[in-house]
Amino acid sequence: MITAGIDIGSTTTKAVVLGDGDIFSYALQPTGMEISSISHQVLMEALDKVGLKFEDVDSIVATGYGRISIPFATTTITEITCNAAGVHHLYPNASLVVDIGGQDSKVIKIDGQGRVMQFAMNDKCAAGTGKFLEVAAQTLGVPVSEIGAISMQSENKATISSTCTVFAQTEIVSLIARQTNKEDIAAGLHESIVSRVYGLISSVNPDPQAEVVLTGGVAKNTAIVKLLERMLARKISVPDNPQIVTAMGAAILAKQC
Amino acid sequence: MEEIFTRFKDYCERPYERAAQLKASGNTKIIGSLPMYFPEEIIHAAGALPVTLFGSEEPITLGDAHMMTNACDQVRSSFDSLLKGKYDFLDGIATIHVCDQVRFFLEVWQLDHPVDFFHQMWRPHKLDSTNQIFLRSELKRLISSLEEFMGTKITTEALQASIRIYNESRAMLRKLNDMRKERPGIISASDMVCVVASSMLIPREEHNQLLGQLLVGLEQSEITVSTKQKVIVVGHPCGIPETELLDMIEDNGMVVVDDDFFTGGRYFSRDVSASGDPIEAFVDFYTNAIPCTTMHFADNWIESGKSYSPYADYVIELMKAGQARGIVVLKEMYCDPYDMEFVLLKKRFEEEGIPYLNLITEHGAGPLESIRTRVQAFEETLRFF
Repeated sequence: MITAGIDIGSTTTKAVVLGDGDIFSYALQPTGMEISSISHQVLMEALDKVGLKFEDVDSIVATGYGRISIPFATTTITEITCNAAGVHHLYPNASLVVDIGGQDSKVIKIDGQGRVMQFAMNDKCAAGTGKFLEVAAQTLGVPVSEIGAISMQSENKATISSTCTVFAQTEIVSLIARQTNKEDIAAGLHESIVSRVYGLISSVNPDPQAEVVLTGGVAKNTAIVKLLERMLARKISVPDNPQIVTAMGAAILAKQC
Repeated sequence: MEEIFTRFKDYCERPYERAAQLKASGNTKIIGSLPMYFPEEIIHAAGALPVTLFGSEEPITLGDAHMMTNACDQVRSSFDSLLKGKYDFLDGIATIHVCDQVRFFLEVWQLDHPVDFFHQMWRPHKLDSTNQIFLRSELKRLISSLEEFMGTKITTEALQASIRIYNESRAMLRKLNDMRKERPGIISASDMVCVVASSMLIPREEHNQLLGQLLVGLEQSEITVSTKQKVIVVGHPCGIPETELLDMIEDNGMVVVDDDFFTGGRYFSRDVSASGDPIEAFVDFYTNAIPCTTMHFADNWIESGKSYSPYADYVIELMKAGQARGIVVLKEMYCDPYDMEFVLLKKRFEEEGIPYLNLITEHGAGPLESIRTRVQAFEETLRFF
């Protein structure tokens, strides 16, 4: 059986193809405006990598914000359920997932079968998400892929008190005006994001011994991982490709659809 | 039947139209009250029309200049409606102390926009026998103040007659609620809210007549019983919950079988006794009303040292009685009593492994797309378990 999961996130669209045996491939592209055609392209790219055609796919699950806009999907399942399934597949003992995506961050408590027990999401603003980092990196004039490494060079972390992305940007501008160096500002930003996410984690009252997995694009940022590990006082598992975990979960759940 | 539902919805969409009409057409005096649990029967017995003031769904444009933006939606929106002249039909306000936000709202109201008749009834917040003496005197004070304003005597007979009309209303609303437990989906959650809320906006006799027709229609209808995941919805102890959210819950694989809204189960769960001394009947009603987050109980967690929440017991019992699988909490932003109680509620849900979804609502429903994801994920949690 060949299945596919497509995760149309606010920033990136990811596709994972799974099949019997070792068949596994994935592809990703920026989401943009044409959700349906981008999703199709990403899926085709993933299929190409393992020499499969669209007709070979038995079941497709669409997930993420754009899930309702995929006419060729067999069904849609929310990114929360898919993410839990993906994490459980990779880490069967994990009981807490922290997913930091482009425009939302979520915390999911999962049981021994990978089912969602409880979840919490950032409510109304982009603080504590990838977008927050992106906006901040832009203001600092550094590539978002480097901002984590830059923050780790800080010796005197600045304080970013605002929890709102737009106000935080204003705060960054003021810090720049006061000639605070970018390493210190970046360190303050990371601290601000992780504090926000930590608040979300506390809201689901997790088991203090829970194995924690960090997924989503922001998990690629080593500074975030280290800070979160420090706050949670434990080691966090990060998959090799944290961005595609939800799409992988969708492909796993597609087997039942 | 659709026609009757449309009428209930119209009353909710234009909440004060009927009252304003009555005011313009004759001698009816209209007394507004703020939620929740004001003894409307006493206003009715005085010969005036009691109207509960819910504010409006319009964006708040004037109210925020007078009220803190961290006041609850009910207070901000109601003040906004007042400033926009939407409450011009009122002859007076009589209200009951629910929380400090409402109390200050009334004080600002009376300072900024005095009305002819203004009565603040105080209600003890600790429900034990010693406070009944105070409650009795407050009910008597309300009666004399209304008698003076209306120039009429409120007799025991008049009070009992009014109580009977309101009991008839409550009995029919309970019947409607029982029907949705027995035949989930027979009435949508948003229609249910409109039916209850409209009873507080128009003359109760008119509402009773319409509601009677609806019950007959529903009893005869052959609506298929919904097989979706059964849930109960709780929260909104004062205002009208956002119907968009209720529709969203029911459009995404769930069916609401019960609730504890003020414009729902909380309002009609108990009758006021129509026999004997009406004042004693009200005292009994308030002392034994359903557990509310604004009340303190004889036993409490500070004194007993254990997680004690009669409200949590009540909500869990509601879920079990409705054979529901989960609970959706619509928590109105900045409702302090509910926020505090929610800590205990959440603890109990987690201790008992009850699936729940907590949605914080604010004026104008909030970011619907991200709420939709959470609602759908909650339904998946119930379905995959």
